[in-house]
Amino acid sequence: MSVTSPDTPVRRRSTVRRLRRLPLHAGAALTVLVCLFPVYWMAVTAFKPSRDIQSTTPQFVPHTWTLEHFRTAVHAAGFARFWSNSLLVTVGAVLLSLVIGCGAAFAVARMRWRGRRQFVLAVFVAQMAPWESLIIPVYIIARDTDMLDRLLTLTLVYFMVTLPFTTIVLRGFIATIPPELEEAARVDGCTRFGAFRRIALPLLAPGLMATSLFGFITAWNEFAYANFLIIKNQDNRTLPVWLSSFKNTFGTDWGATMAASTLFALPALGVFLLLQRHVTSGLASGAVKG
Amino acid sequence: MKFRLPTSASVIVLTAALLVSGCSSGSDDAAGGGAGGGTSELTVWLMRDSVSAAFQKEFTTAFAATHPDIRLKVQIQEWDGIGQKVTAALASNDAPDVIEIGNTQVAQYAQSGGLLDLSDKKTDLGGATWLRGLAEPGAWEGKQYGIPYYAANRVVIYRKDLVRQAGVDPTAIKTRDQWLAATGKLNKGDQQGIYLTGQTWYALAGFIWDEGGDLAVQRDGKWQGALDTPQALAGMEFYQRLQALGKGPKDADEANPPQAEVMAKGKVAQIIATPGGANVVTEQNPQLKGKLGFFPIPGKSADKPGAVFTGGSDLVIPAASQHQDAAYTFVKELTGDTWQKKLALAMSYVPNKTSLASAVASDPGAAAMAAGAAQGHATPNTPGWAAVEAENPIKDYMTAVLTGGDIKREAAKTSEEVTRAMNSAS
Amino acid sequence: MSAIRERAVPRPAGRRPGRTSPPPGAAGRTSRDRSGPWPYLLVAPAVLGMLYLLVYPLARAVLISFQDFRLRQLIAGHAKFVGFANYRTLLSDPRFWTVVRRTFVFMAVNVVLIMVIALLVALMTQRLGRIWRTAVLSSLVLAWAMPVVAATTVFQWLFHSEFGVVNWALTSLGFDSFERYPWFAHGTAAFAILVLLVVWQSVPFAAITLYSALTTVPAELHESARIDGAGAFRILRSITFPVIRPIVMLVLCLEVIWTFKAFTQIWVMTRGGPGDATTILPVYAVQTALAGQRYDLGSAASLATVVLMSGVLVLYFRQMFRQEDEL
Repeated sequence: MSVTSPDTPVRRRSTVRRLRRLPLHAGAALTVLVCLFPVYWMAVTAFKPSRDIQSTTPQFVPHTWTLEHFRTAVHAAGFARFWSNSLLVTVGAVLLSLVIGCGAAFAVARMRWRGRRQFVLAVFVAQMAPWESLIIPVYIIARDTDMLDRLLTLTLVYFMVTLPFTTIVLRGFIATIPPELEEAARVDGCTRFGAFRRIALPLLAPGLMATSLFGFITAWNEFAYANFLIIKNQDNRTLPVWLSSFKNTFGTDWGATMAASTLFALPALGVFLLLQRHVTSGLASGAVKG
Repeated sequence: MKFRLPTSASVIVLTAALLVSGCSSGSDDAAGGGAGGGTSELTVWLMRDSVSAAFQKEFTTAFAATHPDIRLKVQIQEWDGIGQKVTAALASNDAPDVIEIGNTQVAQYAQSGGLLDLSDKKTDLGGATWLRGLAEPGAWEGKQYGIPYYAANRVVIYRKDLVRQAGVDPTAIKTRDQWLAATGKLNKGDQQGIYLTGQTWYALAGFIWDEGGDLAVQRDGKWQGALDTPQALAGMEFYQRLQALGKGPKDADEANPPQAEVMAKGKVAQIIATPGGANVVTEQNPQLKGKLGFFPIPGKSADKPGAVFTGGSDLVIPAASQHQDAAYTFVKELTGDTWQKKLALAMSYVPNKTSLASAVASDPGAAAMAAGAAQGHATPNTPGWAAVEAENPIKDYMTAVLTGGDIKREAAKTSEEVTRAMNSAS
Repeated sequence: MSAIRERAVPRPAGRRPGRTSPPPGAAGRTSRDRSGPWPYLLVAPAVLGMLYLLVYPLARAVLISFQDFRLRQLIAGHAKFVGFANYRTLLSDPRFWTVVRRTFVFMAVNVVLIMVIALLVALMTQRLGRIWRTAVLSSLVLAWAMPVVAATTVFQWLFHSEFGVVNWALTSLGFDSFERYPWFAHGTAAFAILVLLVVWQSVPFAAITLYSALTTVPAELHESARIDGAGAFRILRSITFPVIRPIVMLVLCLEVIWTFKAFTQIWVMTRGGPGDATTILPVYAVQTALAGQRYDLGSAASLATVVLMSGVLVLYFRQMFRQEDEL
């Protein structure tokens, strides 16, 4: 518990403080437990032999451990191909929407121009787009412009799915940053864009993190469009299709599915940790130079 | 500024992404070219695990030897989202050349105008002795679009050792009453007489057919759900009695968890599955090797086995295929007698023609299946049936009855839902 | 996770001792004119993208909803124009209206739960020490990153009647009536499980975003309020909330949209069953479009969904514009 109050010199005070913080820590522990249990169950299932996966008395810790499911998952045909496809499509879509969304959000939050209201409304309506039902029109358009079976089509669709969200959230974040900060920098000789980049962008880091994570997870998980738009060129299939490949007429190989899901969830975590570092350094340098 | 790095990196990655996607699709277009003379590349869609890897290899090697002008490319499709995938393929400009479609799904595609009419090839393919349960759904308004590929139906897989311990003679189980009595004897302690999940609706369909009922009937050209007929109710009552002789979950189907895995755990005396399910059981639990036996699902009387649902697949050629002649060559080979016999033995299937039934006599599982196959039925042959399966109100009906719902009221309600679903599509 | 610390975000007032910082919401109104062509250049890519990738498909969807458009028309083209026939069929279907009512209930229950829980988690996280905070934020991200299909499957297992952990736990605790209790057989229970799943999946995003917003509240404001003797709740209401209000409203609005559109979880878990107990509008639209091959009706249903959803959000938009005008 010492971690919560490393800098309290007097012992008794730290005990009191500890007691006062007990409900807080209990709440934190509960949050962690509730969040992690399903995740833990997924990961631990991946290590159980198939016959232990469903049992009348649950095994919270596997009696026997096996790597067999991971072997099955990794050895599934096209494993490496699916990964690189998913990465390309997802990263492409996220970066596109970050760059374009950030520009639009800045224009909306910081500038006055005719049509701004209409644009904001359009973005919100775009957020409501019924993508499950747009799949048929998108398919028809892609077919008529010879864009079926291409990863670029998927990238563009995912870009469009995440763009409204990115714009809306970044606009909210930019609005909370006092413009005076940028103005001060402009007084110090920065251009408007330079001021934004040096002052606002580092402050935006949590917002950028949240939006890119969102975009990443959305695009990374998407199945319906990946299934519908990639038809004959199977080399262009993405990971969610791989996740569904452990199913046959006799049911689903749950061990392999969970092993695959575990591997599948790792990149999102990786992206988070990666952005984390940039957030820190961005904030630090922003503080020093600002 | 640290953000400059990711931004410039992003541009590179993005460009790379666009280039790669552009390249791969470009090369694919080039490959599709030679439709006329020379070699043509034939793309075939088969379902996951519908053929074993060994069989696929044997077939492709032999096919390449006899047809050097056709480059065969087999693509394995996943079950998840296959309906949408086939729809997308049929509507595209460059469709795969042969597609395997489940026999309950093929009617809607046959009606859609997206398939090549193969009526004039029927004699050439030996259509006279095709299994009805496969040939009928592949036909629409007198034209044949789907070519029977293979069939499978459910049998009872039982544990020889447990049956012996309980003093039951499985060969003597010929009627439903005998089956219930034997299952009751097997159901003791923590051993389950039968593991039958609440939503195994193919099994229920069999019991209903036995009673002379059906899932849906056509009246005045309009399909109507028929689960509330006295015959159908009797079928459901039998299901309820049988289901109670084990601990199958009432609100799940046989795939969740896979019933073969449950049996592999060792305390289940019987399951209802296709004979191939036995391989899954022994794969999970090698100790059960040699301990699994088969018998056809018993009927109402001893003179004939119970009615079963004929599952299986048809092969179709999309109208948008660019290599229709080569595609036909492939279909003719795979549905021909030579490969059908091999396939049936390798996969424990029923071959696509009644004339080939003897091919599987040596395999106990397939033999039990073939005995049952004589009483094979299909789901209602209308495009609307796929809509019923997609929502599957029958599963909800079974769960409702098994958990104490009023059977007559639930049946009437479900019949209405089936009627609505079937007619919403047509 | 060590990165996001309360103190890590530079506090404007702390960094620049000379300036007093006004609450960011009520930011000054200087020098935002004379923008010239810049704003148009900045939004141009977004507008072009939306026009081609969204408005155009949406227009095609509207067209489809006025046509007789099924599998045959998708394959061969030549769809016939039928006017409002699809909408008439849809709106005269009593089942449709039950689904609409259910969608609203589903949305309301979910959104209230998500917002309350997320706000509590965010406030709690802000008060935690470094290690606990890292733990909480990491587990939120893990829960968020779990593939939807895997999460849904795991929830399905947890509530499995024969092998589920929940039934096992309840029976072990002495509730014998839960021995092999079939959760998915009862409409209300299945509905509740889906709510639980959607809340579980949605809270991480809301909590993390709200927490990020909380870190932008200047600590000095808190301190001065505390010196003035304000209680914790008072500080939350009159200092913290006004600052994070735009983000709260935003998250609220997004959650309304997302729960209104919840689809994958329901489709994988119950397919809208038992009966229609968990069929909400998007499930209904896909059922008609893909299962029944009635793309025309499905299109009409999802366009009706958009209209209904806009109805809910009109209030939000009006308020947002009033705020905009203040700027």
